[in-house]
Amino acid sequence: MNARRWAPRQYLPTIGLTAVLAFLVLVPLGFLLVSSLRPGGMPWSPGFTLANYMAVYADPALPRMIKNTLIFVAGSVALGLLFGGTLAWLVERTDMPARRLVRALVILPMATPPLLLAIAWIMLLSPRTGFFNEVLQKALGLSGPVFDIYSMAGMIFVEAVAVVPTTFLILAPAFRNMDPALEEAAAASGAGPARILWKVFLPLMAPALISAAVFISVAGFVVFDIPGTIGMPVRIFVLSSQIYYWGNDTPSGLPLYGQISALAAVFLVVLLALGLLYQRATRRMTRFAVIGGKGYRPRPFRLGRWRIAALAFAGLYFALAVLAPLAVLLWTSLMPYLTGFSTEAMKLATLANHAAVFENRRIGTAALNTLIVAACAATAVTALAALISWVVVRSRAAGRRLVDLLAFVPISIPGIIIGVALIYVYLTLSFLPVYGTIWILVVAYATVYLSYGTRSLNAVLIQLHAELEEAGAASGAAWWRVFRRITLALALPGLVAVWIWVAAHAGRELSSALILQGRDNVVLSTLLWDFWSAGQPNRAAAVGVWLIVALGVMVGAWQMLQRRER
Amino acid sequence: MLEIDGISVEYRADAGPVRAVDGVSVAVAKGEFFTLLGPSGCGKTTTLRSVAGFETPIAGRIAIAGRVVYSAERRIAVPVHKRDIAMVFQSYAIWPHMSVAENVAFPLAAAGVRGQEARGRVARALELVGLGALIDRPATQLSGGQQQRVALARAIAKDASLLLLDEPLSNLDAQLREQMRGELAALRARLGATTLYVTHDQEEALSLSDRVALMRDGRVVECGTPQDLYYRPKRLFTAQFIGRAEIVPCTVARRDGRTTLLETPLGPIASACGAAGAAGAASLMIRPEHLTIVPAGSGAPNTLPGTVASAVFLGRLFEYEIDIGGRRLKLQTLSAQPHAPGARVAVHAPPERCVLIDETTERH
Repeated sequence: MNARRWAPRQYLPTIGLTAVLAFLVLVPLGFLLVSSLRPGGMPWSPGFTLANYMAVYADPALPRMIKNTLIFVAGSVALGLLFGGTLAWLVERTDMPARRLVRALVILPMATPPLLLAIAWIMLLSPRTGFFNEVLQKALGLSGPVFDIYSMAGMIFVEAVAVVPTTFLILAPAFRNMDPALEEAAAASGAGPARILWKVFLPLMAPALISAAVFISVAGFVVFDIPGTIGMPVRIFVLSSQIYYWGNDTPSGLPLYGQISALAAVFLVVLLALGLLYQRATRRMTRFAVIGGKGYRPRPFRLGRWRIAALAFAGLYFALAVLAPLAVLLWTSLMPYLTGFSTEAMKLATLANHAAVFENRRIGTAALNTLIVAACAATAVTALAALISWVVVRSRAAGRRLVDLLAFVPISIPGIIIGVALIYVYLTLSFLPVYGTIWILVVAYATVYLSYGTRSLNAVLIQLHAELEEAGAASGAAWWRVFRRITLALALPGLVAVWIWVAAHAGRELSSALILQGRDNVVLSTLLWDFWSAGQPNRAAAVGVWLIVALGVMVGAWQMLQRRER
Repeated sequence: MLEIDGISVEYRADAGPVRAVDGVSVAVAKGEFFTLLGPSGCGKTTTLRSVAGFETPIAGRIAIAGRVVYSAERRIAVPVHKRDIAMVFQSYAIWPHMSVAENVAFPLAAAGVRGQEARGRVARALELVGLGALIDRPATQLSGGQQQRVALARAIAKDASLLLLDEPLSNLDAQLREQMRGELAALRARLGATTLYVTHDQEEALSLSDRVALMRDGRVVECGTPQDLYYRPKRLFTAQFIGRAEIVPCTVARRDGRTTLLETPLGPIASACGAAGAAGAASLMIRPEHLTIVPAGSGAPNTLPGTVASAVFLGRLFEYEIDIGGRRLKLQTLSAQPHAPGARVAVHAPPERCVLIDETTERH
């Protein structure tokens, strides 16, 4: 009959998803742990040893690497919060001119991959050939360069510029939605603007600020592009670049897999703790009842004479994050060799580098691979995240909390570590012919971006009233029909936004692609890296310009969707 | 038509399982309009959602139109979409990505009804709720009252044996609510569908229902016609939840045919209504609107002398507190003849409106 017997069926969704997630997340981490205890550094090599741990943690260079990592992370949190927080406050709570324009443009830098941002800033501030340095040196009549990008300060500066858009996106809604009555009550109690800022606004915004800070920290631990391009040439190593170095550039030429695993295993514990902290912070943020009714329009803070200064600050940010890097990349892409900006050099201008982008077979293959990988990873993440979010938010299936947690964990796994772990997995499970192909990149990216997908779709589904789906079932429609015609249809803008975001980020992801690079899976980001490290900056710049254009279109589309959803 | 037989529903909470519904049994006849009434958290919505299939009870049995849809003993739990029900939700749950017509056609498409027939049934359902003109309107461009009607039309279009309504009027403003209540009554007269209705609003329950089950703490306290519950409540909770009630502790003195003589702090009172078998300590229930003020010293039975302690003018009505032998009794009359505070009056309580309830206030 139609009657359903109740039985283990209600556990099926969670069992199925847990199995998929365990394979994507837990299996690689498990292989990593096993490898760290093998003398040969590979999961299948015989024996058991703690030598890898000894080698890593007794190394006298380790404390300096840890110190560098912590300074890098702390510095980018401080600078990123200062920039992103100030921008968010100016846009949402003050009468700064052109607020809307700034809000629309603030995420534009997302289109610039951190690798290109770093390359551009090296071109601008390198001590020998940096454009800015040359100009300043001439203008001030100095004998030496003013700035040196190849420094900890340089790394922090570029990383902070790179995290500002995300910081803004975390903070701006919290700033915007705060019930102005809370501040007005303080004003009515006789508190001045400064007192209100310190005693009311910042404490109330603490959950948002903490979650932004933890997010930037995680990003700082995970990022490779910037420490790899700016720090490595002058041997300033942080966690991610240290792992890359051990994997690719050791004196012996052989990757030190055992040591990589031993280093990664301990850092992962720290990163997972940070990830959970972030999850708790954001959860508290939604629980914090500072969001008032809809009708309120916050009274903007009057900047008075400072309005122009505020606009100049926003302008400075765009100059640093978009205009200057883009200009120098464009200029370099038109030059036959690295040269400063001058009218004489203009005569050298050539489109040869751009022509190569469309003619060179290697670039063509890389572009095609990038497209395929980005599209597949985005589709996989969107589909899997939709199922996971539905089970987590809507179903009452037992174990959905575990599914949610497993889907969240990858947020704090550096791409470099995922890359190494996937090498272990797919060299071991050699019956899956994935190693060295573009498909291993799809697996890596899908894993890395899954947490973003589930986070955003959880938020989308929570906003959909459960009765909308229940009305579907009560109308006599079976689960699949309700899921398709109602849930997915209503969540469509959110799904498309996730797809575009993942595709855009997969198009720029460097760290795991570098580790997993084989002969047949070169993508644009690794090609850029190769051009850059092989001393072909002009060619790298040309590829970079076109990559930024493509990513810019995607980010623009993504933002329009996000806007419509509100 | 609908049989709910001893169902219990439990929720998992941090402090352990919470019993939201505790052994509820209800039988609804074909064509009957049956209402589950009670304060929030009494389990009425959970009971309705168990009938729909959104909640799975841990015990009991539910049958709709002769088909068992849930049975703990036989391990049957028919999924929602295979039950012969249609439902209107508190939030209306109108799908914003569809037009009015698409919303109403959805249950038909799910049942495989398409083309000309589907279009005809959609149009008829919308005509019934008075929305025929808005058939192609996007659902996002509807007012609250219109959304309510679309939700009703969608439920009607499914043509199910049992219509479930979950507080359908609670999201409307007061004026619209009254209007929709009238239309709902007209609609149910026309459709004659078997209906299970959930509300916390006693006026809705009394005006629409054939029978009402009053619930509290996951159990049915009392079940009966609206007039039964109002005039002849068997439980103190019913007396106090439906309408207003003065509860006076009393002792049964003796029975005299159909009337029972009670000793009360107000003096001896004759009751011709309520628990005939009561003995010893019990409660007397009188509704303030059933008491009348008569000239002092008339000496008729059930006439109690007192003084006006307070008088509140409500326009159409006067609300008094009358001091009778040190105990205050509330009384409501039309405002034709005002009485000033301090006036000596007598209060008449008709014996058939003096309800004897076999329950004491301590136990309540």
